[in-house]
Amino acid sequence: MRKYLLPQDGFRVIFVIGKGGVGKTTTSASLAVALAEAGHKTLIVSLDPAHNLGDVLMEKLSDKPREIMENLYASELDMEGMIREYLEHLEKNLKNMYRYLTVINLEKYFEVLRYSPGIEEYATLEAIREILSEGDNWNVIVFDTPPTGLTLRVLALPRISLIWADKLIEIRKKILERRRAIAKIQGEQKFVVDGEEIKLPTEEEEDGVMRELKAYRSEVEFVYKTITDPKKTSVIAVMNPELLPLYETKRAYESLKKFKVPFNLIVMNKVIQLEREVPEIKVKIEAQKRVMEEVKREFRGVDIVEIPMFQEEPRGIEWLRKVGGMIVGNP
Amino acid sequence: MEPIKNFLKGFFEYFKQSSTEYIEFELRELENVFALILMASFIGIPSPPTTLVLRLMPHMVKEIKVMQQRAIDLDDVFAEVAGMFDID
Repeated sequence: MRKYLLPQDGFRVIFVIGKGGVGKTTTSASLAVALAEAGHKTLIVSLDPAHNLGDVLMEKLSDKPREIMENLYASELDMEGMIREYLEHLEKNLKNMYRYLTVINLEKYFEVLRYSPGIEEYATLEAIREILSEGDNWNVIVFDTPPTGLTLRVLALPRISLIWADKLIEIRKKILERRRAIAKIQGEQKFVVDGEEIKLPTEEEEDGVMRELKAYRSEVEFVYKTITDPKKTSVIAVMNPELLPLYETKRAYESLKKFKVPFNLIVMNKVIQLEREVPEIKVKIEAQKRVMEEVKREFRGVDIVEIPMFQEEPRGIEWLRKVGGMIVGNP
Repeated sequence: MEPIKNFLKGFFEYFKQSSTEYIEFELRELENVFALILMASFIGIPSPPTTLVLRLMPHMVKEIKVMQQRAIDLDDVFAEVAGMFDID
C-alpha cells in the first residue's frame, strides 16, 4: 500500500482533484472503499455542488456522515444550503447589533454577499475546516472536490487568509496603541451610540475585533498547517490520457507546489487497452500513448497509476473495491 | 485663589487636548482605513476573506461611524488639513 495514503501522524487527509468528468468521484470512492477494507475508519465527503458520490456508491447521502459499509462513512455537503444558512445566521446576529446603524442598509449588503465572488470558496474552506477540526474521529478523510479551478483556489485560501489576518492585526495593533496613548493623557474614552455609552477598548484582550482576528488566524493556521503537512495531507490528481486534462493537471501541480500542498499521485483513468489493433481508433491510441509518455516525463517523483477503461461504468461496492485495490497498490 | 485655579485647570485642559490632537487624528485615520478595508468590496477593491469580514462587523460600530463621518467630511478635506496645521 502506498504510504502517503495511510495515516501517519493522526488522521490522513486526501484531496482528489481533476478536471470535470475524468472520474474524480469514482476514484475517491474506490480509494475510500479500499482504505476502509484495509481497516481504516474512513470518511468520504463530496464537496462538489454537482453531487454524484451517492450515485457511484448507489446510496442516498446527506450532509451527515452515513455508514455505507464497515469502516466507511460518506456524506455530501450541500454548499448552497450552507451558504444560505450561514448568511441567514449572520444576518440575524448583525441585525441585533446594528439596530442603530440602519444607514448601511444591511439587507442590500446581504443580497450582494450571497452572490459575491469568492463566497463559495470561503464556504468550502469553512466546511473543510469544520471537518478537519473533528478529524480525530477518523483515520482517513477523503475529499471528493469540485473541478480543479475552484479546488485550487480553496487550497490557496488559507495562506492568503493568513496574510490578510496578519495585515489587519498589524493595523489593529496601531489603533489600540493610539487609543492607549490618548487614554493615558485624557482618561478613559467613551463612545456614544444612540444614547448608549460604550467604553472604547484599548487592550488587545478586551477588543472584540482583535479577539476575532486572532481566533480566525489560529483557525486558518490550523487548516494551513494540516494541508501543507506531507504526513497529513496528500493530493491525488485524476486525469484521462488526453491533452486538456494533462494541461490542467500540470497547472494544478505548479500551483500546489507554490502553496506547498503535497502532490503525490496521478491516477490515469479510462486508459484504453486493446488486445488486438483496431484501425478506427488507432489515432486515439497513439495520442493516448504520447500523453502517457509526457506525464511520465513531466511529473518526476509523482506516482502514476493506470486504470483501464472498463466495459461498464464502475459503480457499486464490488467495482469500487476492485478499482480501489489498483489505486492503493494492493497486489 | 479661585480664578487662578480655574485658569490653571483650563490651561492644562487645553494642553491635554492639543497634545493628543495629532494622535487623535492619526487614530481616526487608522480606524477609517480599517473599516474601509473591510468594506472595500462595495467599491470593487479586493477585500479580506468574506468570513473574516462578517465576523468582524459586529465589533466595528465605532469604526464604521468614523468611516461614515469621514466620508461626509471629505467634501472639505483641505479645510480639515489646513485646520490641523493652523493655516488660515
